[in-house]
Amino acid sequence: MSATVDHGLAAPKIKGALRQRPPRGILRARAILYGILALVLVTVGLLLVVSVLFRVKGGVDLLVEIWPAYIVAALAYIAPRGYRDRKLWAFGLSLVIGFVLVVGAVVMSYLALVPGAMGGTAAGSAAPGASGAAASGAAASGAAATGAVATAAPAGSAAAASPLASGATGAATTASGTIDGNLAFGLITLALLFLAFGVPLLWGLIRERSFFLAAETRHPIKTAQEIEAETGGFAEITPVSASGSGDTAPALGLPSPVAIATGAVDPLVSVRGLKKHFPILGGILRRRVGTIYAVDGVDFDVYPGEVFSVVGESGCGKTTLGRTLLQLTPPTDGHVVFDGYELADVDPDDMRPLRRRMQIIFQDPFGSLNPRMPVSDIIGEGLLAQGVTNRKERDKRTGDALEVVGLRRDYSRRYPHEFSGGQRQRIGVARALALSPDFIVCDEPVSALDVSIQSQVLNLLLDLKRDFNLTYLFISHNLSVVEYFSDRIAVMYLGKIVEIGTVDELYRNPRHPYTVALLSAIPIADPRRRRSRLVLKGDVPSPAAPPSGCRFHTRCWLRERLGNPEICATEDPALRPMTGDAHHRAACHFAEQISESAVAETVETQDVVETAAAVE
Amino acid sequence: MTEVISADAPRGAPPERDILLDVRNLKTYFKVLDGVVPAVDGVSFSLRRGQTLGIVGESGSGKSVTAMTIMRLLDIPPAQIDPASEVWFDGREILGLPMDQMRRIRGNEMAMIFQEPLTSLNPVFTVGDQIAEQVALHKKVGKKAAWDRAIESLTLVGIPNPERRVKQYPHEMSGGMRQRVMIAMALSCEPKLLIADEPTTALDVTIQAQILELLKTIQQRTDSALVLITHDLGVVAEMVDNVIVMYTGEVVEQGTVEEVLVEPRAPYTMGLLESIPSVEKRGGRLSAIKGVVPSPFNLPPACRFEPRCPYHWERCRTVPPELYLSGPSGRRARCHLHTPEGAGRWPAALEAHRRALATGRELPVHDATPGDA
Ligand SMILES: Nc1ncnc2c1ncn2[C@@H]1O[C@H](COP(=O)(O)OP(=O)(O)O)[C@@H](O)[C@H]1O
Ligand SMILES: Nc1ncnc2c1ncn2[C@@H]1O[C@H](COP(=O)(O)OP(=O)(O)O)[C@@H](O)[C@H]1O
Ligand code: SF4
Ligand code: SF4
Ligand SMILES: [Mg+2]
Ligand SMILES: [Mg+2]
Repeated sequence: MSATVDHGLAAPKIKGALRQRPPRGILRARAILYGILALVLVTVGLLLVVSVLFRVKGGVDLLVEIWPAYIVAALAYIAPRGYRDRKLWAFGLSLVIGFVLVVGAVVMSYLALVPGAMGGTAAGSAAPGASGAAASGAAASGAAATGAVATAAPAGSAAAASPLASGATGAATTASGTIDGNLAFGLITLALLFLAFGVPLLWGLIRERSFFLAAETRHPIKTAQEIEAETGGFAEITPVSASGSGDTAPALGLPSPVAIATGAVDPLVSVRGLKKHFPILGGILRRRVGTIYAVDGVDFDVYPGEVFSVVGESGCGKTTLGRTLLQLTPPTDGHVVFDGYELADVDPDDMRPLRRRMQIIFQDPFGSLNPRMPVSDIIGEGLLAQGVTNRKERDKRTGDALEVVGLRRDYSRRYPHEFSGGQRQRIGVARALALSPDFIVCDEPVSALDVSIQSQVLNLLLDLKRDFNLTYLFISHNLSVVEYFSDRIAVMYLGKIVEIGTVDELYRNPRHPYTVALLSAIPIADPRRRRSRLVLKGDVPSPAAPPSGCRFHTRCWLRERLGNPEICATEDPALRPMTGDAHHRAACHFAEQISESAVAETVETQDVVETAAAVE
Repeated sequence: MTEVISADAPRGAPPERDILLDVRNLKTYFKVLDGVVPAVDGVSFSLRRGQTLGIVGESGSGKSVTAMTIMRLLDIPPAQIDPASEVWFDGREILGLPMDQMRRIRGNEMAMIFQEPLTSLNPVFTVGDQIAEQVALHKKVGKKAAWDRAIESLTLVGIPNPERRVKQYPHEMSGGMRQRVMIAMALSCEPKLLIADEPTTALDVTIQAQILELLKTIQQRTDSALVLITHDLGVVAEMVDNVIVMYTGEVVEQGTVEEVLVEPRAPYTMGLLESIPSVEKRGGRLSAIKGVVPSPFNLPPACRFEPRCPYHWERCRTVPPELYLSGPSGRRARCHLHTPEGAGRWPAALEAHRRALATGRELPVHDATPGDA
């Protein structure tokens, strides 16, 4: 997991674990076990065919003799059943199979290579391998060995016509004590085969033992049904606001600071050390030639009922953060805890009830709706994925959702192009809402809309938040909208959070030079408040090559003002608490040097023409 | 100072010397399959030398078509310019000029900056070639001089290493840098008039701030007049001297930026200002203009804002409002509230507007009625 950084956030409370997609070593173990099963089945099939069609004597006997193989096959079938639930018995069983294979291999090598080893004890026995193993004291392994003598025989022997004869009858006739070359060859081949299966099996299991043994398994493992039941399931959405509820009812907001500090409310979403890196592929071979550090280690909590906003210039990783948080793209590192459940690597089936509770609204109302689908299908898609297979039920929910967002029920038969931008955005909201979620990531939901339509959609989002107890992660680059709409804000720059705090803290007392510049750049629609802006130099650097030290140092006005201190270019500043409030944090070595007079002086002296290039 | 908007000068007579651009009753239509789109429907305004005019309005209100008509960049057909329309630029009527004369003016005496510079810069030529070609075309200078002029104008807009940048192609630059190149190109011939159509809409706030500050500085330095087209009232407030507000192809309000944004007189402008999110409105609803812009094929019979207007009454459905005088200094608003018939209703409307500005809380919940698609 991620390195421990001081982000001042409590460890997220875990309610229960979800069944996880097992790690690679465990998946390999499962494949090996199924391989063994397949091999046994194929052998039995071949034996049957051979003994019936070619009437080979002893074929049926051999089928009986190899009974231990059936046990191993059965175990190989049973063990993986317990993998997803991380059952200890599954782990134990798999280990036993692995040991059986390895010990069997050792025994067989011994029999094959040490002259006389077989003779003394196996004289007259019909099952030479079994008795040999019994003599060595490992009954189970011997049994497996016997089984496998038969199973591997077809593969090991070159004589295709009567593969078994060479092994089985050969063994029977060597009771006198001298082992014939054929049998020795067979046994060695088998031993190698056993090792080829057994060693990787054991290796994978032991290396990934934490999957079965780690502390997390102490949390009760819950299934999709249990989680669904816990959250009251899939609620109806009744068109509350459409019936005209009171207009002054306060929307839910951030829980009180006391409630947060005392742990009376737990975060709905906890993000810890989240990273998402994209490879840059190049050349004819499409090899990885670089990395885009789109999201590069962010930590924050979102409390139930609040609007948590993420702001920053385009390319700072806001969209990627939203998508990674929802596990729409797998994170490179770090984890997300949603309502007490860790989301990483969750089994897709078990993710379903959580997936329903976390929805997303996209920026582009034109691009995000499939133009060839009627609205009923656009909204119904998600419902279908949630198991609402009844068409009538789906249509009812679709209609409800449309009504709740202020559209007519019968619009569900129309296609996206028949709607205006604002209406399309409403359809996007309805699509999310139809699944009665708790948490919605709103990725620039109003950026593409005209002012008058923008306020309609913002009002709608606030109404829905109040009526359905929603929590929003609101992504935007419009700082006036964010100031009006949110409770807390995280400012992102090149994949990292550079400042985080409540709206009041951030807007009244910004503690990061980047926040100061963003705020200064907001155009205010009041000519009486016309002022000179603090203008940043240059563009956001490429997230594929973030600047050293403080990522903002190439554009930082404060650093320039302080005479370009070295530390900015060498040391990455921590997101540290600002005096007064531990929840207001900024990542700047010189946060304390920011003052209104410092900003005013910088504005006075800046050259607005030469702002195209960042320093260096 | 609001004699910006010329009182109707006698038709055909040139405006006074000081007025650089005088647009009179401009009407531009599009004949399309579904009918006729009155994209610009009787727009008049004028602009003094060195001054800045803002044109605001939501998308589809006819801002771009107004600019394109003035620049004569529209294809005719499908566009049609009403023969009675006049555009006087620097003492000449330019709508009637032959195209070759117009080409000599365009890019030279008047230049335009577009929202998306990629579509107006040629992708297969370096930016230096493009600027130099324009300079060579208009200024009759040699190749070398034109090239030097290209470098000089890139320097003027603050592009670092201009000697290296002139040899780059548009796609090798960031959005902000391309917009600078557009500005450099527009300024290369030192035009008297610069029209910027949403120059910063596609850019981030920080880059928008760079470009706006740059435009301001350069305009002061070169003393050219600027028409700034935008949907962002904030940008207007920071940048311009005078404003016209457009709705469905008509001017609904005009005046100085202080008048229009601080004391709006047209319900549409009032609504736009009310709907701006602000910190004072936190916790409450925003006051939104209900409904959507009407389809150009299905415009309301009289006042085009009537279906969305909170102050409408019968008269608004029967008598089309004119741009009435609505203030002492010659400012105008297209609304019956500023006629004797509506004067009684104005105080109440003003009161409602004040309340909505302070807080959106007291507005009815269902102001978000969608219009038909
Ligand atoms: N699927 C992807 N593959 C490669 N790079 C990506 C992908 N998605 C985003 N990026 C890159 O990650 C960075 C952050 O992008 P994004 O999250 O969209 O930023 P924002 O939403 O803040 O504008 C950008 O440089 C972008 O090019
Ligand atoms: N080439 C065209 N053909 C038909 N209609 C057009 C064309 N260009 C613009 N329009 C219409 O003219 C109206 C005004 O458009 P425009 O000036 O681009 O608005 P704005 O720039 O204010 O967003 C719109 O209704 C638009 O659909
Ligand atoms: S650490 Fe240095 S470069 Fe970074 S924001 Fe602070 S002053 Fe600027
Ligand atoms: S004329 Fe009537 S409907 Fe039109 S803006 Fe004025 S009050 Fe509203
Ligand atoms: Mg984005
Ligand atoms: Mg336009």
